[in-house]
Amino acid sequence: MHLKLAYRNITAYKKRSIVTLLLTTVTTALLVFMTAWMDGSHSTILSNAVEIYPGYIQITGKGFRDNPSFDNLIFDAQAINDKLGKQAGIAAFGARFETFVLYSVGEKAVGGMLTAIEPEKEAHLSRLADSLIKGEYLQAGDGNQIYIGNELARRLKVDVGDIVTFIGSGADYSFAADNLKIKGIFQTGLFEFDAAAAFLDKSYFDQIMASDNSATHFIVLPEEPEQAEQLAASIGTNLGPDYESASWNQIMAALVKAMQLDSVFGYITLGIIFTVIFFVIMIYTFLAVFARIRELGILRAIGTKPSEIFIMLILESCLLALVSVLLGGLIGASAAWYFEANPIVFASFEEQFKQYGMAVSAIPTAFMPLVILRDMAIMFILSVLSTLYPILKANRMQPVEAMHHV
Amino acid sequence: MFSLIIKIARASLARRGLRSLLVILMIAVSLWGLLLIEGVYEGMIEQMINNAIRSDSGHLSLFARDYRSDPDLSRQVHEVSAIKAALEQDTRVRSFAERIKQDGLAATAHASRGAVIIGMDLEKEEQHGRLAEYLQKGEFSFGKKGKGIILGFKLADTLRVRIGSKIILSAQDMHAEVASAAFRVTGILKTNNMGLDERAVFIDLNKMRKMLIVPEGVSQIAVIVHEQDQLAEVQEDLHTRFPDLDILRWDELYPALMQSKVIMDGFNMVISGMIFCVAALGIFGVILVSVLERIREFGIMLAIGTRFGLIRNIILAESFFLGLIGFVFGSLIGGANLYYFKIYGLDLSAFSDAFDEFGMDAITYAVIRPSYFLTAFVAVLLATFFSVLIPLRVLKKSNPIEAINKV
Repeated sequence: MHLKLAYRNITAYKKRSIVTLLLTTVTTALLVFMTAWMDGSHSTILSNAVEIYPGYIQITGKGFRDNPSFDNLIFDAQAINDKLGKQAGIAAFGARFETFVLYSVGEKAVGGMLTAIEPEKEAHLSRLADSLIKGEYLQAGDGNQIYIGNELARRLKVDVGDIVTFIGSGADYSFAADNLKIKGIFQTGLFEFDAAAAFLDKSYFDQIMASDNSATHFIVLPEEPEQAEQLAASIGTNLGPDYESASWNQIMAALVKAMQLDSVFGYITLGIIFTVIFFVIMIYTFLAVFARIRELGILRAIGTKPSEIFIMLILESCLLALVSVLLGGLIGASAAWYFEANPIVFASFEEQFKQYGMAVSAIPTAFMPLVILRDMAIMFILSVLSTLYPILKANRMQPVEAMHHV
Repeated sequence: MFSLIIKIARASLARRGLRSLLVILMIAVSLWGLLLIEGVYEGMIEQMINNAIRSDSGHLSLFARDYRSDPDLSRQVHEVSAIKAALEQDTRVRSFAERIKQDGLAATAHASRGAVIIGMDLEKEEQHGRLAEYLQKGEFSFGKKGKGIILGFKLADTLRVRIGSKIILSAQDMHAEVASAAFRVTGILKTNNMGLDERAVFIDLNKMRKMLIVPEGVSQIAVIVHEQDQLAEVQEDLHTRFPDLDILRWDELYPALMQSKVIMDGFNMVISGMIFCVAALGIFGVILVSVLERIREFGIMLAIGTRFGLIRNIILAESFFLGLIGFVFGSLIGGANLYYFKIYGLDLSAFSDAFDEFGMDAITYAVIRPSYFLTAFVAVLLATFFSVLIPLRVLKKSNPIEAINKV
């Protein structure tokens, strides 16, 4: 019977119902979409940052992450190779040796990074091979040929086929220098990276840098990227205390935190908008309840208990909230679903993204049913809560007082 | 007449005290939120821009032609003394600083990184961009013999150096020979200008001249003006006087910052628009109901000869009072809150790693502009005005005089 009354009341006060319905619907849709947008943009930015070069899991010698000196290298790369080969859950892995050197061409000298990679394996681990824009990607047995970032090439004023000289120090701190021939040029979109990095086949690098059987990093691509953290931990135990195994959450802790901060700001802004919206819902409920204050007084006078009136009124707002949350959830979810398949393109903001080291210009939303349900539940509760005060207020009046209320 | 309108409006608002209070609260809260969003977000962007201006670009920077696309030591600004004289005479210019820049390698015994070596005159930089305020550790000096080096905190972190650590700088000199020199770290800077924090090392200007054999000429002259409005003018004047130089404003040197500002402004507009539409809806509801409730009352007024205009004005006044009181309260709370954040700052140090990633300060000092209050006032005024339009039409259509005869 309560339900019936509530339903009648909703249809009887159409205008108020429609406004409340619309407001809650729009708010729910907004929240669902904004959450999908924030989650989507954050995971896109993170996975881009991870996949371009750093990789999901990095294995280093003990202490290397805090103090990246040649004293903390991985000195037995072969042993790691064997162990990783046997570990389950790994899609691909490979060794890297990173050094910082001075490149020079003719009269021009620029500091940069020279990294040894295993070209075939590296192609699976990062987006280096896909970022080729000119010439060719490396392959094993390439000798002194390098694969160089387009900005670095531009600074050195070199092109495919040209010779670049480098000066640096080998793994045994000896002086190392050689002439390298440019085989290919890449562009990842990360300006700083493209302006500093060049790559060389590890077998050749090991000869000139005395780095045979050693490495600065092993990069691991998990079969399930979501499981990176667990896999990193299990690799860590497997390899023993002489090595450190870190997942991307640790490697890029600052970026992860920056994304959280962005969410915090997003929710604060939404929070302010929602406060206003729920004030309005409260006002409308207030109007609707007080419009029939005499009716409620009469109900009380003929013996209806306050609790029954409360149930009737709260059912009414529950019904309204339910319908609008469902509607809003549906709208928000379909927008989230659509923009996940058709990412929003921000071509004109690329400059700003670049500054933050993000090579992203298209951002998909994240369609996650559980999160959407959570947001809908939050909205439902908030919307019912905001009607609570007016209902209690009206219900607290004495029947006679209510009947005479003008 | 006028006082009558006010009297009636006030009385009818007071009669529905709780309802009026809710509306006023709603307006006040939305205004508070809006002011906070505007002031704090604008403060953030301003600080980023300020950091870039103070630590690097100035309001204007003078470079040799094409230095930006090919930052080579050989591309130098030569007529330095003529330019200095021109800048000193220009009353619009507050300060300027000359720097020599060259890409090179910064190395310790264990690590090395590519770095931008910047030669500067610390005393001048201090007057120019108050650079010493950015000092995180150590002191703002190159030591007595000028053998000190100050570097960005992220670079210091990757090189694992502390105050007193030795750093070897290598770079090409004017004759394209590689020159090296040893320095001791005297200071570590945190400018929150990411490019500098990650890559810059600062050494004494004269030391740099000797090391890289640069007898005269500089790579950059950064200029700070008194009034930002005069910026374009100063740029134009300098350009006519020194047509061989590239003279660029900060927003040309840091387009990403300008873009952030544009995005932020747009974002603020959208949010304000949304909040005021919702708030208008709230006022609308209350006015509509209060008009509908009083149809008989208005009918009687009309029957005894009151003009409809008067009734319209009463309703308008009610709505306006609600808006005005809400505005005053909202402005007071919001303004006080912003003022607090302007003086003491909004401290989000818990997220300082994240702010470093974005190149932002962890403590944001809010901005307060009269325009915030002015636009908010206009918005409230519009909201109150538009929200009575429909109730008035409803009132006219419902034919109040006939309504008297009904129960």
